[in-house]
Amino acid sequence: MSASNSIVWEKILRKGAEANLYEGYWFGKKVIFKHRIKKDYRENILDSIIRAKRTINEGRALIKVKEEGINVPQVYELDTENALIIMKYIEGQKLKDLMPKLANSEKIPLFYNVGKQIATLHINGHIHGDITTSNIIITEEKQVFLIDFGLHEYSDSIEDKSVDLHLFKRVLISTHGKDFKPCFNAFLEGYQSEYKLLENDDSKLIIKNISAIERRGRYVKRDEKEFG
Amino acid sequence: MKFNTKLVLGIESTAHTWSVGIMDFNGKVMSVVNDTFIPDKGGLHPYLVKEQHLNNFKRVIRQALRDANCKMCDIDLIAFSKSPGLGPILKIGAQVARMLGQLLNIPIIGVNHCIAHIEIGRLMCNIEDPLTLYVSGGNTIVSAYESNKYQIFGETLDISIGNMIDMFARDIGLSHPGGPKIEKLAHQSKRYVQLPYVVKGMDLSFSGLYTAAKKLIDSKTYEISDVAYSLQETAFAMLTEVTERALAHTEKDEVLLTGGVAANKRLQEMIAYISKEHNAKFEVVPLKYAGDNGIMIAWTGILRYISEGRPNLLNTMIDPKERMDTLTIPWRK
Repeated sequence: MSASNSIVWEKILRKGAEANLYEGYWFGKKVIFKHRIKKDYRENILDSIIRAKRTINEGRALIKVKEEGINVPQVYELDTENALIIMKYIEGQKLKDLMPKLANSEKIPLFYNVGKQIATLHINGHIHGDITTSNIIITEEKQVFLIDFGLHEYSDSIEDKSVDLHLFKRVLISTHGKDFKPCFNAFLEGYQSEYKLLENDDSKLIIKNISAIERRGRYVKRDEKEFG
Repeated sequence: MKFNTKLVLGIESTAHTWSVGIMDFNGKVMSVVNDTFIPDKGGLHPYLVKEQHLNNFKRVIRQALRDANCKMCDIDLIAFSKSPGLGPILKIGAQVARMLGQLLNIPIIGVNHCIAHIEIGRLMCNIEDPLTLYVSGGNTIVSAYESNKYQIFGETLDISIGNMIDMFARDIGLSHPGGPKIEKLAHQSKRYVQLPYVVKGMDLSFSGLYTAAKKLIDSKTYEISDVAYSLQETAFAMLTEVTERALAHTEKDEVLLTGGVAANKRLQEMIAYISKEHNAKFEVVPLKYAGDNGIMIAWTGILRYISEGRPNLLNTMIDPKERMDTLTIPWRK
């Protein structure tokens, strides 16, 4: 199955909005093939621009982010022509699938750790762009891995970091409504704990700016706008 | 009693359409009559729209009653759109509803316009638990039912898709409604010009795309049809991507496309494609019920009335900025 001199695509794991994920072997190592397949619904030129751009973007981001000590899959091969990334297979479960199986007491430290990882990302000038509970993998040892960097951007602005957190907040509310408050609070605590180690602690400004973004949103009432 | 089941009269009054629909409590449509404001130039001026609705509301109600072959006194419940929308226009709907309620001594119930779009889609397309892409002149929302609410997974961060298309249409001299004309124009081209593609997770932004398209037109270096084609392709690809992302995330097995922009064949084709990819059943709400209409208000009024009973008159205040994800949905468990 896993001959050490071959590349084997075994089976499809998941169809995402951007890419199909396959499981298989790459010179004896268990890997994920992330293939940004051509989306026939899209205009041809637009499709190739998006696929090439995001493949390079994600490959580079994963490599860079890994160097900075954040848990992400190791990239083995980056094939921009075919919009394909071959990366290490992370044994674990999506946080989204794990949530219903966890006791409340287990969720809090987990979200605290997610907060720490995202803070490290932000401190180093990375914006994930799509933080959801589907894009966080939890290993058997309760290690937090971040995946899916297709919408990654480089930025040091408070605004971009707030947007990143705002998207995650929205996903928690819509997908895990009952757990939202304690989990998001634990997440923010973990997030701030990393920033506290720095000379310039921007975390307060970043978190405060989330509500400014919410007020800018659609259908926000004026009194909330003024007194937030 | 002339009718076997109770009857509801629904009033839609959030924007350019004043619509009255009559329906029985089993969900059978008896009539629906629309009066739509069409501006001579520019967009919807709330004052002018209000004037048109004030001049026409009686005629539309009468016509709806006549079409349904019933009298005002046969009506058992009045439902009206209380949110979200343009304040002065919502007010007329609420005032007419209150007046009729008082005159006939029957309950009136306020309905959230966005929720009504989803509910009428579920009824008309006979589907249970869809991921909904709701695209219109006022809204661009990706929503699904979760934790007793219609949660918003993605939405526009600035202008709506319909608004963007309408503004672009006006800039190139096409009269309202611009959507169908842009669709036709886009058909004449196959030349793609790159435009800003802005997706943030499951949210979207169209204002930069609009400005870039306008600049291309002003530069006079491209055919208008090329720009229309590129604008449509870019905007719809964005919508399709966030819908697919929400579909992969929520793992729903039904997809519903509704709102005025749902009439666009190209958008239908794209959403149908990703639905098939994820083995989800795909339905487009029939045009008559995808755009703003009184029947969707009537039906949602019935659902809320049955589960919550007669509301206090104080709870019939309009709320121009109510978000659909703040309301619980007691009829879905």
